[in-house]
Amino acid sequence: MIVDVNAYLGHFAFRRLRHNTAASLLTLMDAKGIDKAVVSSASAITYRNAQAGNEELAEQVRGHRDRLIPFAVINPFYAGWQDDLKICREEFGMTGLRLYPKWHNYQLSSACCREVVDAATEQGMVISIPIRVEDNRGRSWLLNIPDIPLDEIVELVKAHPKTRFILLNGLGYTGSPLGRKDNGLPSNYAIELSRLSAVLANELGQLIANLGAERIMFGTGMPFNYPDPALVKLEVLDASDADKEKIRSQNAMAWLRP
Amino acid sequence: MSVSLSRSSSSEREPCISRRMLLKGSAAAAVAAGMAALPSAYAAAVQPATAASGGPPGKGKVIDCHAHLTNRSRKTWEADDRKLIDAADKLGIDQVCCSTLTPHWPASLEGFRECNQWTADGMRRYPGRVLGYCYVNPGYNREALEEIRRYVGDHGFIGIKLYNEYTCTEPVVFPVVELAIELGVPILHHASHSHYFVEDQPRMSDGGHLAELARRYPEAMLICAHISGGGDWEWTIKALRHAPNVMLDTSGSVTDDGTVDMAAAVVGVDRLVFGCDSSMTAGVGKIRGANLSAQDKQKILGDNMMKLLQRRKA
Repeated sequence: MIVDVNAYLGHFAFRRLRHNTAASLLTLMDAKGIDKAVVSSASAITYRNAQAGNEELAEQVRGHRDRLIPFAVINPFYAGWQDDLKICREEFGMTGLRLYPKWHNYQLSSACCREVVDAATEQGMVISIPIRVEDNRGRSWLLNIPDIPLDEIVELVKAHPKTRFILLNGLGYTGSPLGRKDNGLPSNYAIELSRLSAVLANELGQLIANLGAERIMFGTGMPFNYPDPALVKLEVLDASDADKEKIRSQNAMAWLRP
Repeated sequence: MSVSLSRSSSSEREPCISRRMLLKGSAAAAVAAGMAALPSAYAAAVQPATAASGGPPGKGKVIDCHAHLTNRSRKTWEADDRKLIDAADKLGIDQVCCSTLTPHWPASLEGFRECNQWTADGMRRYPGRVLGYCYVNPGYNREALEEIRRYVGDHGFIGIKLYNEYTCTEPVVFPVVELAIELGVPILHHASHSHYFVEDQPRMSDGGHLAELARRYPEAMLICAHISGGGDWEWTIKALRHAPNVMLDTSGSVTDDGTVDMAAAVVGVDRLVFGCDSSMTAGVGKIRGANLSAQDKQKILGDNMMKLLQRRKA
């Protein structure tokens, strides 16, 4: 089984996405042999009221909950986030969140953000954080959104040892405490592989050696990305079958139980 | 693994990615054995992949049109070069077209001369696997041209690599283009288009510049480097639509869905050449993910580059 912890539905403001409805994403997943995917609203990244994106997502995944696992996008600085979180968890059955501190213009260290993380943790929700949405060199002339510095993630995981974090669309972890062995950090975060090298520098192999395969999860970034590059990484990875199975699905499924 | 890729040495590892996986069901076949025994590096470059496969001439090779050997100022250069070949082995890439770049720009005369010596040495260390681009700074006009004649003419390099020392529409670049036309070899030109000024690369070329150069020199064979190299790839593809003598190199770390599909739709598959530029799984994955026929993918993976290389003049 393959579980993708990094997928999306909906529109993105700056580029047309294909395969961005539940039906078309499932068709793509079938073609690529991906069984389940964690999805959030791509539209909610740029909607002022992210909850509108969550509502669209809830509508899309209805009838496909066996394969599409919806995560909410919450902006801690937008009015009513407490109500939105409650609706997403209790009415929509969303088991996790995605946070976009740079796109939504807040600090991960801010009190409001910490409050969201605590509230979600109390509900048993997983928090996933895309380090980036798209490559900044191709950005629109309208904006300049930096990647999240890994130092800010280090502080976040330290401050919330009981929270489970999944870090998406990142690389360079081996140059940060996050990817080092015996780093003194809680083991409360997993790293998704879509931007990690699997040959040449082979950051993926280094992270498995440093943190253990239990801390790596498969993800593609579809439909922003072709899913195939991430699948190719799994195919060329020098790892035992048992470790590959953890990365493909077991680690994600252990965290994504409703 | 459905189809194995046989190689010249039985000790080399089987690729993890079969050609069938690359082509999504194609029966296109394996690479010729014994390329290393050919008399020159250029002959190795254009050797069709038929001996092991029985396939049609010139079919079946996978050629990474954009790769780099490691500058030897880096202590790990030898191991890094080995890793490149190991990665190519794993991914089913038969040949890597390499330049060696200087660590700082603009490249000095000594700097690019040294780099080309190292590239030539790489071709000797990995015969038939590494094909060389001659890297020059066009600002060293006479010396740059001599360097190209030496390495393309005498050492069997397959083309010229230009970086960001000058925008490709600056007149200082023209003699290099004219020499490339005379020799019948392609120029792989660094390029990107961002919607802001890239301060550390003030003379960066983009697809629009390359289209302009192509109009000035319709006989030139130009390759626009890494359309997935970080800039706005939709802009780049559209800028190159009406420049038939510019090929688009699919390399780069960005794996945005639809890139290869849009390029194929706008400029046609005959103008796309597969590359990685060190983003190996991204390079292979994008081609595998594109919604194209196996035949079209094979054109991108190797046949189109092979055709370019076969236009070399004696």
